[in-house]
Amino acid sequence: MHSSSPARRFREERFTVLAGLALAGFALVIVGLLRLQVVDHEKYVELAKENRVRLEVIRAPRGSIYDRHGELLADSAPSFSIVFRPSPIESTGSTVTARRADWTPRVASLARLDTSEVSERVAFANRSGQTAVLRRDAPFAVLAAVEETRSELPGLEVQVEPLRRYPHGALGAHLLGYAGEINQDELDDRADRGYHLGDLIGRTGVERSYEDILRGRDGAEFVVVNAQGRRVARLSEGPRQQPVPGHDIVLTLDLKVQQALEDAMAGVERGAAVALDPRDGGILALVSRPAFDPNEFSHGLSQARWDRLSSGGANPLLDRAIQGVYPPGSTFKTITTTAALRTGLVTATTRLEPCPGGYQFGGRWFACWKKSGHGSLDLIGAIQNSCDTYFYQLGLKLGLGPLEETARGYGLGERTGVDLPQEARGLVPSAAWYDKRWGPGKWRKGLLLNLAIGQGELLVTPLQLALMMAEVAGDGHAVRPHLVQEVRGVQGFHADKPAQPGVDADPAVWQTLQKGLELVVSSGTGTAARVPGVRVAGKTGTAQNPHGKDHALFACYAPVDSPSVALAFVVENSGHGGTFAAPLAGRVLRRLLLPDSLQTKLKSPARVDTAAVDSSVAHDAD
Amino acid sequence: MRIRWRGRLPEIDTPLALAALGLVAIGLATVYSATSGPGAHQGLWVRQLVWALAALGAAWAIASVHYRAYDSLAWPVYAVSLLLLLLVLAMGTSAYGAKRWLEFGPLKFQPSEIAKLATVLVLARRFDNPKCNLRRVRYWLPALLITLVPFALVAKEPDLGTSLAFPVIFIAMVFWGGMPLGQLMLGLTPLFNVILFFATGSLWWFAGGLTALLVALRPKWPTLLMVLALNGAVAYAMPHLWSHLADYQKRRIETFLNPDHDPSGSGYQIIQSKISIGSGGVVGKGYLRGTQKALAFLPMRHTDFIFSVVGEELGLIGALTVVFSTRWSSCAATDWPW
Repeated sequence: MHSSSPARRFREERFTVLAGLALAGFALVIVGLLRLQVVDHEKYVELAKENRVRLEVIRAPRGSIYDRHGELLADSAPSFSIVFRPSPIESTGSTVTARRADWTPRVASLARLDTSEVSERVAFANRSGQTAVLRRDAPFAVLAAVEETRSELPGLEVQVEPLRRYPHGALGAHLLGYAGEINQDELDDRADRGYHLGDLIGRTGVERSYEDILRGRDGAEFVVVNAQGRRVARLSEGPRQQPVPGHDIVLTLDLKVQQALEDAMAGVERGAAVALDPRDGGILALVSRPAFDPNEFSHGLSQARWDRLSSGGANPLLDRAIQGVYPPGSTFKTITTTAALRTGLVTATTRLEPCPGGYQFGGRWFACWKKSGHGSLDLIGAIQNSCDTYFYQLGLKLGLGPLEETARGYGLGERTGVDLPQEARGLVPSAAWYDKRWGPGKWRKGLLLNLAIGQGELLVTPLQLALMMAEVAGDGHAVRPHLVQEVRGVQGFHADKPAQPGVDADPAVWQTLQKGLELVVSSGTGTAARVPGVRVAGKTGTAQNPHGKDHALFACYAPVDSPSVALAFVVENSGHGGTFAAPLAGRVLRRLLLPDSLQTKLKSPARVDTAAVDSSVAHDAD
Repeated sequence: MRIRWRGRLPEIDTPLALAALGLVAIGLATVYSATSGPGAHQGLWVRQLVWALAALGAAWAIASVHYRAYDSLAWPVYAVSLLLLLLVLAMGTSAYGAKRWLEFGPLKFQPSEIAKLATVLVLARRFDNPKCNLRRVRYWLPALLITLVPFALVAKEPDLGTSLAFPVIFIAMVFWGGMPLGQLMLGLTPLFNVILFFATGSLWWFAGGLTALLVALRPKWPTLLMVLALNGAVAYAMPHLWSHLADYQKRRIETFLNPDHDPSGSGYQIIQSKISIGSGGVVGKGYLRGTQKALAFLPMRHTDFIFSVVGEELGLIGALTVVFSTRWSSCAATDWPW
């Protein structure tokens, strides 16, 4: 010890201070105990006896979703729910059970639910001490029945809860997504983020990707209830915490475009369509078929209904526009052309070996879709007529590297980063990918022929197809596909930077490519997408599919002089792109780009026109 | 320093031992009572008993070594505790979204508990050096760094509550180590800055307080400039940092500073436990006869809120016994006559 006398005194002083602080802390505890157990004893005995203080959650309404013109797409409205409130006696399990044996079957039949479902929810509510919603948005007859018998069924109550509503039903269901009641696992994970039993949580679409913005913050208050569970007073000690509503969200979506796309896709059994604004990547419309009605989820779904929706070949919950992957077929020739022009391999007028109906390579015959052959074509003619033979040769000359690089510049093979959950990546094979699949160096050049016409291992999502067309329209300028334009009450919200680099090429390259694509629609394989008086550029595609009929694809943008929309269509298992996908684009474009007056005049001729084109293209599309 | 093992019962302070044993006994009995109803934690008292016995053995072992011997163990213990904290981050068990526990078979513990002790030991060893003068940067800055490392590791788990124990340890230790009170206050100004900002929502309160402090202390120019620069930076950064936090993070901080504000979370527990304690009265409802304790509404009744079971069943008498025993066991270790 090094304590001389002043040092010791110093320490003693310090110790007195520290000890004094500690003593003060203990004194506070003792004073607190005296206040609770002596002064206010009576009050707490009363509260303990009657029990009873209960925490009631005041649900925060979820933010609404609007389209770019302020049309309502989703909101929350008050509705009556049947809830179970656990009583403390019940939760201890040690005293006489408050519920008689016939409680569960009676409640189940009143609320028209399964007995097992009721007992499961009640058990969880008792474990967690939180109120459980038994039935959301119950019909009036059920509510009346519950109110009448409530005194015999302790714990059962009718409560006002916000209900999620989607006024347009299945329209835009996949992009909006749906919000369902939080389940027990999710609740365990997020207990510290202010979620309560009975809260809604976004499961898919915008509802999920913007969950934190839409949900708001639940309020709460303490109420004193009597033995029947009826509320008699508010507890003065805990201040009422007001719920904070979620933020409203404005989408880039245009209800008019969405409606047009939905109508065009109405007859499609399985498929997807996307409309993008090529200038900024804003999603104007997005359709996936088959669709579902998100309102169903707001009421709570039976297990059987859920199984039907979430599985099977049709799987309506799957958002094919961003989660479905398809071989791009001849739409990929857009990319092969870009790559060939950028590398200076060809120009608009370059002629390759003439097409006799196919191409001989490595001891194998690669057929062109037109068996009679196209004869000698230049690049523009090859795009216009989608000549496979011409593109086989381009693929061989280009090699894998430039093809892959250009495809990635367009955003293929990578997530576009759209603000929707669970986007698929698609696939653009690289040399490394082939090495891994077939063994280093063991893959043959023949696969280049298939890649050049969009077959082989290539896989794209409909959104990526639309993005590709948007980039063609913008001379290779990359945009970020996005769905949310504005979060109300939040300043400076903006879409992220594009995930893909874009395609760097001379203006001449774009001129040539755009001219070729325009000819596809005006007098090539995509004439079904023609719109009188409007220049449309596009590319058809027919994707071979081992499991059935070919998938029909079509991607386009319009008007060519000042592009305002890029479209992509995929119709599963239908046939040629020019026959089954291009006419849908034509229908949408006519509705969007022609003035209303002209549309009514054109209505019947346009349809005849489409039908005529349909049948004429049917036997000679790519 | 040689560690001497005397191989027999160490000299013990009988009142201290009695207080500690009494607390252990009350704790065991209360855990038994709190989990006596049917529920998830039945049988927890057996584990409590096993741990109590193990702790008794450990206490004996620790008491058998002369306390000066721990001086030489300070750094190794500190190093081991940091390693364990790193291990938690790498492979800890998560509960409620945070990794705080290490599990070795049936053994499960929080390394942050060891780190707290280790930090105290290391700081004590450093400050015990007669040359150590905490007026000077070269002595207090390393000590600060020694504290900040475990602090950061625990905060990263994340365990905000426990991590805050480290600054408190540091403050108490430098105070005890002889840092002048004025200097300590100046050093703490960034902390006051943050707290006052959250508590009052404006910087003016703090600015006033700081001015008063500076006028009273009249620090030298370099110190003055440093304090001003530091607080300026903090004041500038706070609103920016705040707007970068996620909503739930903000809510947590707000709840931490003002628990009554969140009745749905911790506030609920507090009200339920107040009802438990208050309804116990002077003599309590009797052991095993509490009515509130088994509320499923009090999910942490067997851990953080165990005291409310004591208050309810054993009343003011039981609660005061616990309070005084705790007080006794912390004071008896020192020679302070209280």
